[in-house]
Amino acid sequence: MITERLSSDYVEMRFGPRWTYISCVRKFVASFFMIGLSDKERAEQISMAASELLENAVKYASEEEGYLKISIAKAENEVDVCVKNKAEPHHINTLRRELALIQTGQPEQVYLKKMEEAAMTEGQSRLGLIRILYEAGARLRLDVNDNEVSIHAIFKLEAA
Amino acid sequence: MSAERGFVPLTVESLSIVPRLDGDTLRIAMSGAVEMRDPGDALNPYWTLIDEEARRRNVKVVELDVQDLNFMNSSGILTLVRWITRCKSTPDCYRLVLRYDRNVTWQRASIPTLAKLAPNVVVPMEIDA
Repeated sequence: MITERLSSDYVEMRFGPRWTYISCVRKFVASFFMIGLSDKERAEQISMAASELLENAVKYASEEEGYLKISIAKAENEVDVCVKNKAEPHHINTLRRELALIQTGQPEQVYLKKMEEAAMTEGQSRLGLIRILYEAGARLRLDVNDNEVSIHAIFKLEAA
Repeated sequence: MSAERGFVPLTVESLSIVPRLDGDTLRIAMSGAVEMRDPGDALNPYWTLIDEEARRRNVKVVELDVQDLNFMNSSGILTLVRWITRCKSTPDCYRLVLRYDRNVTWQRASIPTLAKLAPNVVVPMEIDA
């Protein structure tokens, strides 16, 4: 696990699922990785991914759950953004299906198709995960442990 | 500035939108951030109003300038997708120019992708601010 190997480029926050916190976390993550990576584009991609994952977590966290956790770890050649929260089984199943769907096919085509489908339906956009995958070039991974969901957006870093 | 019916400014939380009619071009400047939980609540009806008024006035070009918009979440992007989809599916739509700053990561990633939804209607205009 990345967190066991990292040194200084690691940040973890745990807070109540309040929407208004997401913006300040996004700005903090961007600033933190702007310094840590010296790469504005990567830092902004990471902060965008953090923001989209947190938005999903706030929307779909189970109501009795009091907090969500974001940890971002930089290892030798990758950064792992992980958001963890408890969720209802039907939301977990939806997430599994969603991930499976967006990971099959060419990302741009999947993104455009998802946009067109979203435009035709009411409700949530469900564009956050494919946006992370396509626009930020991250790899996505889902870990489920009972009713606890961890979703990772993993960014490859250029070799120094 | 023309602040006639349909072309009124909008301010929602940290987002500000200011439209300005300039001949047969409608210039709309967005600034701040689209990061609210349900941006569609405010933006979907607003874009619809802009769209209807632009058609009523026979506007040829709508230029949406997002260069001062420091972030847009995916729900905000969906509001633009809905607007573009409406333009694409109705005849005689104006040209929708999306003006963005190539130095802002989300803009450089999202705007050209949005333009691919309707290449005959949407024109991405990259600037180096």
